[in-house]
Amino acid sequence: MLKDAFSAIAGSPRPFDPVLEQAGRIILGKDREIRLAVACLLANGHLLIEDLPGMGKTTLAHTLARLLGLHFSRIQFTSDLLPADITGVSIFDRDKSEFRFLPGPVFAQLVLADEINRATPKTQSALLEAMEEGQVSAEGQTRALPRPFFVIATQNPSHQIGTFALPESQLDRFLMRIELGYPDRVAEKALLAAGGQRAQAEQLAAVFAAADLPAWQEQVAAVHAAGPLIDYVQALLDATRRNPAFQHGLSPRAGLGLLAAARAWAWLAGRDMVLPDDIQAVLPAVAAHRLRTTQGGGPALPEDIAALVRSVAIP
Amino acid sequence: MSTPANAALDRLATPWLFACALASALPHVLHQPVWLSLLAGTLLGWAFWLWQHDRRLPGRWPLVILVGAACAGILIEYRSLFGRDAGVAMLVVFVAMKLLELRSRRDAMVVVTLACFLLLTHFFHSQSIPTALWLLATVVLITATLVRLHGGPACTPRIALRHAAVLGAQALPFMLVLYLLFPRISGPLWGLPADAHSGKTGLSDTMSPGSIARLAQNGDIAFRVRFDGPAPPRQKLYWRGPVLEHFDGTTWRPFEGRRPAETLEIISPPIRYQSTLEAHDQRWLLALDAPTALPDDVRLNGTLTASSRKPVSERRRVSLAASLDYRFNRDEDPAILRRNLALPPGRNPQAVALAAGWRNAGREAILGKALALFASDFTYTLQPPLLGDNGIDQFLFQTRRGFCEHFAAAFVVLMRAADIPARVVGGYQGGEFNPLDDHVVVRQSDAHAWAEVWLPGRGWVRVDPTASVSPSRIEAGIADALPFGEPLPGVVQWRADWIRTLRFRWEALNNAWNQQVLGYDPERQRQLLARLGLPDADWRSLAIALGLACGILAAGLLAWATIHRPRCDPALALWHKALRQLARSQVDYAPWEPPLALAERLGQQRPELADAFQAVVNAYIAARYGKPGSNLETLRDAVARFQR
Amino acid sequence: MRLVTFLQEKLFRWQSDGTAPLRLGQRRIFILPSRGGLLYAMTLAVMLVGAINYNLALGHLLVFALAGIGVAGMVHAFRNLHGLLVTPGRSAPVFAGDLAHFELSLANDRASPRFALELAAPGSEPVIAAVDGKKDAKINIPLATTRRGWLALPRVRLSTRYPLGLFTAWAYLQPAMRCLVYPRPISHPLPPAAPSPTGGDRRGDGGRDDFAGFRPRQPADSPRHVAWRASARQADGGSLLVKQFAGGAQVDLVLDWQQTDPGVDDESRLGILADWVLAAEAAGVRYALQLPGQALAPASGEAHCRRCLEALALFDA
Repeated sequence: MLKDAFSAIAGSPRPFDPVLEQAGRIILGKDREIRLAVACLLANGHLLIEDLPGMGKTTLAHTLARLLGLHFSRIQFTSDLLPADITGVSIFDRDKSEFRFLPGPVFAQLVLADEINRATPKTQSALLEAMEEGQVSAEGQTRALPRPFFVIATQNPSHQIGTFALPESQLDRFLMRIELGYPDRVAEKALLAAGGQRAQAEQLAAVFAAADLPAWQEQVAAVHAAGPLIDYVQALLDATRRNPAFQHGLSPRAGLGLLAAARAWAWLAGRDMVLPDDIQAVLPAVAAHRLRTTQGGGPALPEDIAALVRSVAIP
Repeated sequence: MSTPANAALDRLATPWLFACALASALPHVLHQPVWLSLLAGTLLGWAFWLWQHDRRLPGRWPLVILVGAACAGILIEYRSLFGRDAGVAMLVVFVAMKLLELRSRRDAMVVVTLACFLLLTHFFHSQSIPTALWLLATVVLITATLVRLHGGPACTPRIALRHAAVLGAQALPFMLVLYLLFPRISGPLWGLPADAHSGKTGLSDTMSPGSIARLAQNGDIAFRVRFDGPAPPRQKLYWRGPVLEHFDGTTWRPFEGRRPAETLEIISPPIRYQSTLEAHDQRWLLALDAPTALPDDVRLNGTLTASSRKPVSERRRVSLAASLDYRFNRDEDPAILRRNLALPPGRNPQAVALAAGWRNAGREAILGKALALFASDFTYTLQPPLLGDNGIDQFLFQTRRGFCEHFAAAFVVLMRAADIPARVVGGYQGGEFNPLDDHVVVRQSDAHAWAEVWLPGRGWVRVDPTASVSPSRIEAGIADALPFGEPLPGVVQWRADWIRTLRFRWEALNNAWNQQVLGYDPERQRQLLARLGLPDADWRSLAIALGLACGILAAGLLAWATIHRPRCDPALALWHKALRQLARSQVDYAPWEPPLALAERLGQQRPELADAFQAVVNAYIAARYGKPGSNLETLRDAVARFQR
Repeated sequence: MRLVTFLQEKLFRWQSDGTAPLRLGQRRIFILPSRGGLLYAMTLAVMLVGAINYNLALGHLLVFALAGIGVAGMVHAFRNLHGLLVTPGRSAPVFAGDLAHFELSLANDRASPRFALELAAPGSEPVIAAVDGKKDAKINIPLATTRRGWLALPRVRLSTRYPLGLFTAWAYLQPAMRCLVYPRPISHPLPPAAPSPTGGDRRGDGGRDDFAGFRPRQPADSPRHVAWRASARQADGGSLLVKQFAGGAQVDLVLDWQQTDPGVDDESRLGILADWVLAAEAAGVRYALQLPGQALAPASGEAHCRRCLEALALFDA
């Protein structure tokens, strides 16, 4: 599915190829995941990476931040982390006899929220509110977050001990959820030989400046989605609402996200129109964490999504 | 069939059933006793009231009592429960009664079924165009009721009526095919009930003062005639009915018994014509004097009256011929002549005495004297004074006002008293020519009576005394002959040009209806089939033809039902073309498979096809998913190249 | 009986339709006259005999018109089902003894509405639905449940008598749908709670119920929580104080198979456990579930409750 998306179609140039290529050299054997992550950022959405510790989640976030020239900050979530640790605190200045606001780590262009499900729901929701509104309301004052603003959150699989699974409503705020998974044999050997990639990532030079990103995002938003394609997206959404494998269907917001992600995916492939291929490519990442299976109540598995795709004819 | 047939009826479906019952029973008000209409109306009103106020329907016992009472009433009225009219009355009662028992959908189906039955019974009385239209509307109503019953509350009246109209329109071809091809059987399958053909108007086989005048006040059509050539002048149109020879002083009757066949000398060439007789329940065919050619089952009965073997109990079309100049029984049986001189003894002495004084004159002179008498100061009227025992005397010497039967009777009495054999002939005279369909329409108001006298060497000669009194009756018709104010039927009396034209139109339409639609009988069916290339069709070939035609119609209907043509994007149509080509190349395709993935899979499975198909895919995605304005030509070319 | 089954399978192609949407084609639709239709046909026959007997030309026409309407009605009944798109939906889990609802979606892509569609599963009340033109309708087929576990939707008969009620057109649907049936809860008092090892260290966060004292303010604390009056009373005038709250005593319930009365049968024990799960969830406490060969860690919330009930429903005793 990946390769077909690359197939050459006459269209716009693909300015992001260097980004993808360089990131692919850091995170080995994960081209598809990198591409999804970049598509997520281009679609102006937040990304949730779910996997076991040590699979390269943090490296991916680092790499993207450096390549795109984004101001990066990292919040390690723990169970005793308080909302103010994220948003910032007001310090009482004795000299001036007033509170002075110290911005928290959320005031960055790319925030890596590491192991977000280790924190209490209250703390989680502080971050998620910031993600949703693009601003922070603390102590009666509203402060805008920088632009662009991305959150890449990582979470451990929910069955791990001492975690607070993100509620479904919060999960909806992430445009995509991806799993990195174990690298394949070749990639893992290369990784072992190189002795870890984190250091390399630190040395990467920015391909773009942060200020360029909005222009790219505008281009992505202008990618054409024709009527038949909208029909297809709607049919897919409808199918999730009917499919007995899921407890409930995708929301219209999820549908918009799906379309935005597919636009970014198409744009990355150098196309100025969205194809059903693009929809199918991004569907697992966009839909899986928003769906709950009837059996087990967990997020949808790739097989469920594949079965869903197979149940909908392309109009 | 696990679905509940007796599902409860929803409230808003009930008025439909009321409407059905009302529409199917209403025309019967014209034919049935008033108390029955009142009863049925009351029951309907009751049912409606109960429905309107959402009351409970009456229990079993009140209904049983009501039915019993209604049956008793019918039994008293018709002296039977099973005759035709009694049966109809029972049906009306049952329909009205069932409305008080509407609980489930099954009850509703019973009402609908009874309503269908009731519809059929209207045809006992009339098969005219208005009846047909009323029934057509009722059939649509009944269909809409069924639609509403089974469609549930979501089915609005508009939808139900529209759907019923669609069903009706689709039923029309079936109806036509069945009507034309269903093997026709003529005549009753078994003995009809005694009252099967009751209530027909027409000439009766007796004549007494006033009997024809009463008939003449009826504007109904007696028969229609179409001449093969031009129609003869109306004063020559004497349509012969019964010949009345026996007179008892008031009433004239035909002589019962066998008589020798006529000897007829034809002088003028015969005129051929077709006559369509309305049912009158008598055997005479009202043929034009004198008949020369007759259908198989029709004979002349010795008095030149064409009579059929069976009474004309329904509309009948006959082909006849007539010669207007003829000699009839120049050598008459002396016994018959003697009979035609008989007068009731002791009655009408004045008239007998008057005529006896004429005996010495020649026969022609006697005729002249009698006609001159009538021409002097007699009045032709539909409202003659009542006459007593010596009616002829009273008429001739006191009242001097009378209708044709008075003149004919008085003339015959005078002739017999003057020793000239004479008799009364009943029938119709004249008729109205409808230029729209070239038919002569003869109504009951054209009923007439004239005299026939036997002259040696000339045989029976027609003498119409009315012509002496009122020549315009014979030349122009009864409406011209009578002063305004006489109780003539409106249809005859209104003679403004536009009314007459309208009437001509309407009657021509009715005639066409009668001839073409109602007159479709086994004979016509044979003709039609012969024209369709099926001569001598027996019922088996008819059944095959019928089955074929219905099968074709049903197949057409089924095709209409199953064809579901989605609006197809031309790019998609071309894409499907390419996919069909792919299928021919043994590559299967899943409907969920997106184009690029398909192209890639093809590149692995069938590399030799891949390039051509990639071109198709590129053109297809540009045309279908690209910005609008991309042309289809590239795709068309690519698909054409791929198909090669 | 086996012959009947064989015939049904051959004739009606009784096999699962899977979960994919299903369009009713002509091969699936069967049609036969209904009882009303037989009555109608009989009426027409009698009317025809009457028309022939009395030689009524219009009578013939009337009978033939009604017959034509009947035939058209048959085609319309067929058409009322033809092309209907049936999509299996989902069904929410229920407790044994309640009605399970299987949702089917009927989509009509014709412009004209389809009325009086009747859906019935064996042994259930038929459901009647109408689908407007270019619309779809969701229909819940109720099915009585008797025992826990998976309840598969049996073959559903989709029938219609619309428009005239003279013919019944029907199709059999067998979508692969199933509904999870939880054990019927059997009312039983909750077992005593055991303090859980994780209960203690959760003190101090989250709860707002009980005031638990003061502590010095840390930079991350919200100013709203600063106890100004208490801070003012501070003798040294140093740090601000913050109120500290604690939630209710965090005590975890362990709902254990072993705690249920061993005297009753397994199904009843599962019923008691189901009742406990519901009661514990209603009380808002954290609870764990322990079944032979299966254990669920203590938690609370709707998802946990569902997981517990699911484990009970599918427990292989």
